[in-house]
Amino acid sequence: MSSRESCRSELRTAIRQLNDRCLYSASKWAAEQLVGIEQDPAKFTPSNTRFQRGSSSIRRRFHTNDVTSTPPAGVSYVSTPVMEEDEVVDGDFYLLAKSYFDCREYRRAAHVLQDQTGKKATFLRCYALYLAGEKRKEEEMIELEGPLGKSDAVNREVASLERELSILRKNGIIDPFGLYLYGLVLIEKGNQNLARTVLMESVNSYPWNWSAWSELQSLCTTIEILNSLTLSNHWMKEFFLASAYQELRMHNESLTKYEHLQNTFSFSNYIRAQIAKAQYCLREFEQVEVIFEELLRNDPYRVEDVDMYSNVLYAKECFSALSYLAHRVFMTDKYRPESCCIIGNYYSLKGQHEKSVLYFRRALKLNKNYLSAWTLMGHEYVEMKNTPAAIDAYRRAVDINPRDYRAWYGLGQAYEMMGMPFYALHYFKKSVFLQSNDSRLWIAMAQCYETDQLHMLEEAIKCYRRAASCNDREAIALHQLAKLHAELGRSEEAALYYKKDLERMEAEEREGPNMVEALLFLAQHCREQKRFEEAEVYCTRLLDYTGPVSSMI
Amino acid sequence: MAAASAFAITPHKVSVCVLLQMYALPTQATPPFSSVSQHNRLGLYILSLTKSYDDILEPKLEDLISQLREIGGSLGPWLIDHLTSRVSSLSSPDDLFTFFSEMRGILGGSDSVVIEDNQVILDPNSILGMFLRRCVLAFNVLSFEGVCHLLTNIGIYCKEVLSNCMPYELHRLDGSSNDLESLSECENMDLENFVFGKVNEEIEERKEATERVSFHLHATQAICGLVEDVEVVTDPRSKHHDKGTEDCPHVHRPGTESQDVDPYGEVFLRTNWQVQGYLTEQADAIEKHGGSVSFNTFELILRQIKKLAPELHRVHYLHYLNSLYHDDYFAAVENLHCYFDYSAGIEGFDFVPPSGSNNSARYEIALLCLGMMHFYFGHPKQALLVLTEAVRISQVQSNDSCLAYTLAAICNLSSEIGSSITAGILGTSYSPVTSMGSSVSVAQQLFVLLKESLKRAESLKLKRLVASNHLAMAKFDLMHVQRPLLSFGPKASMRLKTCPVNVCKELRLCSHLISEFASETSTVATDGAFSTAWLKNLTKPMGSLVLTQENESGENFHALQFCAQSSSIPRSVLQILGSSYLLRASAWETYGSAPLARINALVYATCFTDSSSSSDTALVHAKLIQHLAAFQGYKEAFSALKVAEERFLSVSRSVLLVLKLQLLHERALHRAHLKLAQQVCDELGVLASSVMGVDMELKREASLRHARTLLAAKQFSEAAAVAHSLFCMCYKFNMQVENATILLLLAEIHKKSGNAVLGLPYALASLSFCQSFNLDLLKASATLTLAELWLSLGSNHAKRALTLIHGALPMILGHGGLELRARARIAESKCYLSDPSYSVFEDSEVVLDPLRQASDELQVLEYHELAAEGFYLMAIIFDKLGKLEEREEAAASFKKHVMALENPQDEDPLLNLL
Repeated sequence: MSSRESCRSELRTAIRQLNDRCLYSASKWAAEQLVGIEQDPAKFTPSNTRFQRGSSSIRRRFHTNDVTSTPPAGVSYVSTPVMEEDEVVDGDFYLLAKSYFDCREYRRAAHVLQDQTGKKATFLRCYALYLAGEKRKEEEMIELEGPLGKSDAVNREVASLERELSILRKNGIIDPFGLYLYGLVLIEKGNQNLARTVLMESVNSYPWNWSAWSELQSLCTTIEILNSLTLSNHWMKEFFLASAYQELRMHNESLTKYEHLQNTFSFSNYIRAQIAKAQYCLREFEQVEVIFEELLRNDPYRVEDVDMYSNVLYAKECFSALSYLAHRVFMTDKYRPESCCIIGNYYSLKGQHEKSVLYFRRALKLNKNYLSAWTLMGHEYVEMKNTPAAIDAYRRAVDINPRDYRAWYGLGQAYEMMGMPFYALHYFKKSVFLQSNDSRLWIAMAQCYETDQLHMLEEAIKCYRRAASCNDREAIALHQLAKLHAELGRSEEAALYYKKDLERMEAEEREGPNMVEALLFLAQHCREQKRFEEAEVYCTRLLDYTGPVSSMI
Repeated sequence: MAAASAFAITPHKVSVCVLLQMYALPTQATPPFSSVSQHNRLGLYILSLTKSYDDILEPKLEDLISQLREIGGSLGPWLIDHLTSRVSSLSSPDDLFTFFSEMRGILGGSDSVVIEDNQVILDPNSILGMFLRRCVLAFNVLSFEGVCHLLTNIGIYCKEVLSNCMPYELHRLDGSSNDLESLSECENMDLENFVFGKVNEEIEERKEATERVSFHLHATQAICGLVEDVEVVTDPRSKHHDKGTEDCPHVHRPGTESQDVDPYGEVFLRTNWQVQGYLTEQADAIEKHGGSVSFNTFELILRQIKKLAPELHRVHYLHYLNSLYHDDYFAAVENLHCYFDYSAGIEGFDFVPPSGSNNSARYEIALLCLGMMHFYFGHPKQALLVLTEAVRISQVQSNDSCLAYTLAAICNLSSEIGSSITAGILGTSYSPVTSMGSSVSVAQQLFVLLKESLKRAESLKLKRLVASNHLAMAKFDLMHVQRPLLSFGPKASMRLKTCPVNVCKELRLCSHLISEFASETSTVATDGAFSTAWLKNLTKPMGSLVLTQENESGENFHALQFCAQSSSIPRSVLQILGSSYLLRASAWETYGSAPLARINALVYATCFTDSSSSSDTALVHAKLIQHLAAFQGYKEAFSALKVAEERFLSVSRSVLLVLKLQLLHERALHRAHLKLAQQVCDELGVLASSVMGVDMELKREASLRHARTLLAAKQFSEAAAVAHSLFCMCYKFNMQVENATILLLLAEIHKKSGNAVLGLPYALASLSFCQSFNLDLLKASATLTLAELWLSLGSNHAKRALTLIHGALPMILGHGGLELRARARIAESKCYLSDPSYSVFEDSEVVLDPLRQASDELQVLEYHELAAEGFYLMAIIFDKLGKLEEREEAAASFKKHVMALENPQDEDPLLNLL
């Protein structure tokens, strides 16, 4: 990786340039990374490292084996020269236009720049027009909402912008920012292939525009597409790949990338949040909690990604922590979908499902495509025994992102609740297909096969076997496998699984009725096999337990 | 549901309002209506505009104008002029407010309005009155933004027509010519163009082909964004080129399309009612025509609806139907689940809701549909599992009608698929219906199910279901011997026979349906269908004639009559009636009465083809062609087959293909083309699904023919082995009727191999099967085989054989095909000849006459082997009689046939026909 100092200077220039072109969220991202680069403590006063305190403790906890900071062999990063500005001093009109833009008077800004010819001015004019169109589109979406759903409003500037930008690109007088805008326009028009090419050109010539990277990432829906991109080896590419891997649910690959990036950007909140996201998907809730505690200490007014933290708190049933979090985000910004979701989670934990649904609805009003709100609302409806509504909510989640295994699982559960196990199987199969290493899904599917109505025990056994092979935490699978085999009269297999289950219970120091059952079966089995000594061992162990069993012996 | 609120005011509705004003206030018009009928015609037109569901999108002003030109006759130009000027004069929000308050004046009932001469007072409760009121209401609830949008849209709506100093297309081209060069830059645009051309092509084709879906080509404007992923199957270049030469005013240049068109505010969905009507109609069309409806075209329309009305979930159901009939399993499953997830089975189904629970979810219907889908795709196990679940859920939800339908579906399933599979599942699965225990046989279970299902349908007054249950019952009675349900008690009185009277009774009961449907007519269908048909009639050529008063009224009458006729009997009723005739035909086929089978098939083909699905129609054609082949030889049959194939080009899993293979096989056997016969036979076997218990008919047919081919090749032991295993299979799957044929074949094999004694028991067994199943024709042919067997045992059995043949002759001559008749005649003369008490010199005609007839018939069939035998016998007799000339002639024929038998020609003039 290039040295910290060069990253720092690149980012500083980039922030200025991005700000100049009113690409604020990209500049925000860049600034966050700039501060995230580890400072030399000798050179700076404590006030400079204010945003970085406490972070090193995370590193201590999770980086017992320190990763070497040298890049992997064979990777050399190109250093893209920082772009030269064509006009050193902005024209007066440009300054006026930028002021208008900053006041969100987009059309006015575009009008001021009408006769300006510089690349920068052209970009700002087009961008302002695009944003004006977007704003109008949002308004129209509300205005034209029909009884059968939203009529689709379109950005009316897109057609003319596309024409203009394609001509500019053809004549070779377009800068990377223009290319980024062209990409946006093409996505809006649904021309994904060309959009991908254009965005690729943009990031290759100006890699510091994170917005361009994330648009590009949204176009990489499969690993094949991702691999087909030709990107120059800038360090920004690492960020892109990490994020793309995460979206493609290659969480471990993504984690390695992020951990590697942390060598340089060791204090980046962004990276930490992304790591938390990956850990969350890997269901490492403890780690997620620790990361978020640190994050919120550094950045108390953060709302992004905090809904994930609330999910963790929900799963761990931390009432007070969740209420504290909800209060905090509510005070920060109550009209963020994330805030509404957190409050919804809190009410759900309190068992007030109606209120919870209310807040999820509000979150969806703010962002109709907010995936997790649909799924969570489905869960609430399930709790309220309103299965049709739950099914509807889950289905919407699935239609927004067909790879959301939780919603598929929810659909399956809802149908199973209604006593339609065969119908539910379709959905369980879907969810298992998407997340094949989650034992809970396999167990749910197995239970479906096991129901009285279907009674397809062979299939159930297959599912339990898969569940047992992928780290079944609650250890249901082994027990069920043993039981089913016993039911089918295969005592050898049953004994094998009972033994495994017994070993596991011993290892985890758990006791209970399962233990008694296992011991009893094994004792009887050994007796039938005439292995009396073994049987005796099991019987003596059984004697430790009170109840009808010991009296039987 | 949301139907009431789905009414949004659009430019098109404003136009209709203007027309209504002209209709209601004719005095304002300078040239008033010249006749009452002209006035009425306008009224009818407006009515049709508000009701018809021939399309999903509202027509554009141009379309409206061209239709007005048709209906208005001499008044047309004035109407058009008035309409356009009135609509385009609406230029400010205030104009709109004035316009709609004027509209309120047309309505009757308000006293303040001064009634002028000639004014037609619109009853506020009439259909048009309601329409007007809804428009006014919809306008009144609009926000100011809404009014602005309406105004903009009216502007766009008028602009295109008013600037018609330049042709529309050129206008478009001009606007975008400056960036055409930039267009050629991006390569994937090109692809889009081709695809677009292809889609247009398809739309055109389809429009011509069916006329059912008149798809407005304007819709393509909005669609063009969607066509990206339509696969291009054929070489698009050539097609595109062809397209270019055609001068079609509606086809926009695709290139300009994707670049220049601003699609906002131009397309509006019709009212919810109309769209639903359209969808229902399309669903009917898909179910009727099956795979012949173009998949992609319809998919595009559906996607467009989905885009315009995302909450209209019925679209998913249509997606499901479309992919179902195009055999796309995965898409069908996906869309079925999707539809029921969204709407919980409430939207769009016209089941009688059980009282009390009006809005409850109906997931049992989802299960029913899924079960039928699995059945359609040939997954009997899954189908049965799902249907059992449907039974349980319907019971839990106390949805009796769904339960009745599910039971009927289960009956259908278990009678179609091999029963042994059903037995396995019905036995193990926990189900209240089937918990009768395993003591009763599968057939008896099915019988109980059928009875139960019939009883339910009757008590719920589901007339169509009752009728189709009667049909299922008839089918059951046709194939099963009646047995008492309980297997204990005195069995003395048991007669093991099928009961044709019962079949007849059930079929008659089914036909009662036609007198009962009168009470249930759905207004939705009739109104809309009327309007749609009326509007369609406009575009027929006679509409463009100069309209004199006489033919005008005549035409109206014609239209009305046509509509009244088409809607007076619901299509579903006709369909069930049609299938009762189809069943009659197959029943008579089984019982062995060729003329009656033919008559019933003909009745079906003439009366019910319009209403029935194309696969059923194809089946009837197959039956008729088979009849033709048996009675008039292959030549006729092949030419008829050719006609039928052209007609049912796209019917998937075509029965016609099977028929063709069957005919080819028969013919190859007769002409002793054994290689060809084996090849055809293998092809037939491949058509069947590999799943156990599915396509049993086809599998049986294939291996039966395999055995016959082996027999013809004189590989007797192999043939017998195949026949034996076939017998076992039929026995396993409870196909007793088929076993009679197989036993007869076994007897035949033993006869040919020279073991007549071994053949006798088989022939007798077959005979007794035929007797208990009332298979009269097969019985006659079994008797014939029996006689032949006796005859081959020696001449002392000739008398007995002759008596047997004479007993069977009436049946054979009355109903048998050419081959059977010829066989009987030859056997008869052989009996005479081997009878020691018979002398040729006394009465030669007794043997010569049947032989002559037989050889004539065999020559038609080109059945060389038997024909040779006939001529041989004839030659010998003539020799005995001393008629040398005739002897030479017969001998020559004999030689010809033997030569043909030994050197089968490869080229066959008939094959070229196919």
